[in-house]
Amino acid sequence: MARSKRPVLYGRSHSLQPQRSLGFPVPVLPASPERAPATASPMAFRVALAVLALALFACVVGYLALSVPRAWFGGAPQMRWTARELSLARGTGGLKGDSLALTAPDATRTVVVSFATTLRAQDYPEIAWNVSGIPDGVEAALLWYNDYQPSRVFSRPLTVEAGRIAPANVAREAHWIGRIGGLALVLRGDFNEPIIVRWAAARPMTAMQVLGDRAHEWLAFEPWNGTSINTLTGGADAQDLPLPVLLAAVVALAALAYTGLARWQPAALAPARGAVIAAFFVAAWFVLDARWQLNLARQVERTQHQYAGKSWRERHLAAEDGPLFAFIEKVRAKLPAQPVRVFMVADANYFRDRGAYHLYPYNVFFTPWNDAIAPSSDVHSGDYLVVYLRRGVEYNAAAQSLRWDDYPPVKAELVLVDGGGSLFRIL
Amino acid sequence: MAYLALACGLLLPWLLGFALLSALDWPRPSTLPAVPSAGSTALRLGTGYFVGALLLTMWMRALSVTGIPFGRLSIGAPLFAVAAALLFWAARGQRVPLATLSDLPRFLIRPPLRGWQRFAWTVLLAWLALRFALLAAEVAWRPLYPWDAWVQWATKARVWYELGRIVPFVHAEDWLAGATGAYFDASPNYPATVPLLQVWSCIALGSWDDSAMNWPWLLMAVALALAIYGALRDTGLSLLAALVGAYLVVSLPLLDAHVALAGYADLMMACVYTLAALAFYRWTLRRDPFDIILALLLALCCPLIKVPGVFWAVTLLPGVLIALLPRRGPYAVGLAFGAGALVLLYLSQSAPMILGYRLHLDFEPPWHALAEAYFLLNNWHLLWYAVVALAVIGARRLVRPPLAPLAAVVGAGLVFLFVVFTFTNVAAWVADFTTVNRATLHLAPLLVVLCVLLWRELSRAQPSALETPALVSVDA
Repeated sequence: MARSKRPVLYGRSHSLQPQRSLGFPVPVLPASPERAPATASPMAFRVALAVLALALFACVVGYLALSVPRAWFGGAPQMRWTARELSLARGTGGLKGDSLALTAPDATRTVVVSFATTLRAQDYPEIAWNVSGIPDGVEAALLWYNDYQPSRVFSRPLTVEAGRIAPANVAREAHWIGRIGGLALVLRGDFNEPIIVRWAAARPMTAMQVLGDRAHEWLAFEPWNGTSINTLTGGADAQDLPLPVLLAAVVALAALAYTGLARWQPAALAPARGAVIAAFFVAAWFVLDARWQLNLARQVERTQHQYAGKSWRERHLAAEDGPLFAFIEKVRAKLPAQPVRVFMVADANYFRDRGAYHLYPYNVFFTPWNDAIAPSSDVHSGDYLVVYLRRGVEYNAAAQSLRWDDYPPVKAELVLVDGGGSLFRIL
Repeated sequence: MAYLALACGLLLPWLLGFALLSALDWPRPSTLPAVPSAGSTALRLGTGYFVGALLLTMWMRALSVTGIPFGRLSIGAPLFAVAAALLFWAARGQRVPLATLSDLPRFLIRPPLRGWQRFAWTVLLAWLALRFALLAAEVAWRPLYPWDAWVQWATKARVWYELGRIVPFVHAEDWLAGATGAYFDASPNYPATVPLLQVWSCIALGSWDDSAMNWPWLLMAVALALAIYGALRDTGLSLLAALVGAYLVVSLPLLDAHVALAGYADLMMACVYTLAALAFYRWTLRRDPFDIILALLLALCCPLIKVPGVFWAVTLLPGVLIALLPRRGPYAVGLAFGAGALVLLYLSQSAPMILGYRLHLDFEPPWHALAEAYFLLNNWHLLWYAVVALAVIGARRLVRPPLAPLAAVVGAGLVFLFVVFTFTNVAAWVADFTTVNRATLHLAPLLVVLCVLLWRELSRAQPSALETPALVSVDA
């Protein structure tokens, strides 16, 4: 059966008025099938597959041409130094499992991690450091010396992305020559949480290694974190070539190539052009989605390990804020049954807001976005104050006097002390 | 037993919405033989969940106003009775597609497709089933996780669940001044719909559980997939093309993240807005008054879900104008956009004082962050690449029937996002990705639908396997 070539024009249903009176003529496809589906011819199918494969090949080769600094094949083997082979020249830290945990900089706000080597600079155009937990404001640099000028130390800034150090391409550094006698990582700035160094590596950056690195970045597990509800990376935090960019380029190139071929062989290829281009797009989408589904499955495995088989209360105790939840449970046991006013304070936004959440349906007050406590004049007799890991709150037990920030003290009774948390009742 | 009660509670809004739409016989098949009517059951099922969920929360509001405490009986019994009555009435009028529903399992497993199309259908369905299963596992096991969920949404749910009624949340200064019986959280002015859905889940379960209360988010994703599939079938797309369209929507990573890390209102906002726009689009094609009434009601519900919902509802107006005035409408909309751009330009260059308010807009487009969020990171798979490509290739189709009204709605939505991202303090939140993707999520499903419809228009001149109607006409 053949579909009517002329589209049906209509505007209002339930009437058969001419379209002129309807204001908005619309062509509509017939509902019932009037012809067998036009499937792509075997030739079109084969051409489409070939075009897609060639486009993928061309994009990969183009990328490698831009990113492989030296020989594509062969080359020296990768060299890697584990945390045990690294030494801490400046700053404080120590081995923790397979990692070197940097806990504090020295008096000049500097940490230096170094190791000795004899690698040939020409063979290794890239140096990679596996470091995580670098906070904003900390600068990183790579130091080295070579056998031409062993008394001189050269440096190059390193890029910090999402708390990690991006691999450094040193091939074009003027002093990356001869044999490298030693390498070091320098971090300058203040940090409170430990910075973790796992390994350093010198890479020959052959084509296979570049491709392997990209695949590793794309398939890196991206667990849920505080920002997952806002944005998703799609693999490693830092990526040299995001997978969506590569796939979009492949689809665009394949679509252009197929369109060109369809103009050349219109009878065989043109009828299926729309379907073929759509198939290119859906296939690329599916590749991205397979990565996403794999990541989701790995996340579910983690979630299952952490929470499955537990009651609501046990799940909260197993959650990231388990200690806080346990403390709030003790607080709730001390609070009267009827909902009273409770002020929740903590230095960290997370603990303050999360603590308040666990306290509901008590009538909780907290400052969601900044670390501030309501003035003491706003606190009334019978109110409660929950303090969790908060500096600047002083209690004089003898005088039953509670004071915070620069506000006048108030009379209060200490009801509970537990670890880093306290509960006070305002008298 | 508690989980059985929870399951019944979760299905109640679905049953209610489906029953109401069945009673109204929406979506009504056209009397014109050439107008497609396939997909109506899926569209009814999908839209029904959201209609029912909105009705449920309105009923809870009414109970609270009249002083009747929340409970399984006070909420569930009347709504179940109403749903049953509506279904009975609809069934008597043969408006319930019983045959289609009973045939559904066979249809899903053995669709009327051949060869690679059947293979693709099966793979896609299995893939979607796996996706929903993974998301369900996250919803079931993970306690309330994302920040805003426990700082401004579930705060209300917890209080209202424990007290058995809606009590007001007020700003800090009012709370500190001693507002009687009032509570405080990070956003006391936020609408009640989402917390009420969570309250109902816990009431149905019989206890407070901030994992179980998030099951509606999974149902929203399933319902959205059904509605998108139905809507695309309704416009004449083939079985496989409609399923691909639904798959493209529910495979958007950020949308999935909002299901797995449930608790935000953005997903429901996106779903209700999308369904409002699709009902409106259906009206432009058929002029069935039920379509525009549904579109209007869903649009009016947008501000009940999120405060910016009022702006999203307004984005339907350009489409309405074009649908009502097909010749002059596009010019009027173009003029309105142009005038708006001039006003923004003026306000970015000056600081006039009106009624004591200084009207000045800083033009700070965070292009780099926007490009990163849309094109480099994996929030949207390839959606924005497709949007750019199709907008270039199909620009002329977008300003002509039948897509012009829907394109105007999406265009207004994009303008709204652009203004928010470039002229307001939200620009700072774009740079750190806290807002850009969540705001975009409201528009993303509709954007996917428009892309699919535009692709269909572009390839209509040369019918292909994907867009050809199925071998057998099936109302599913």
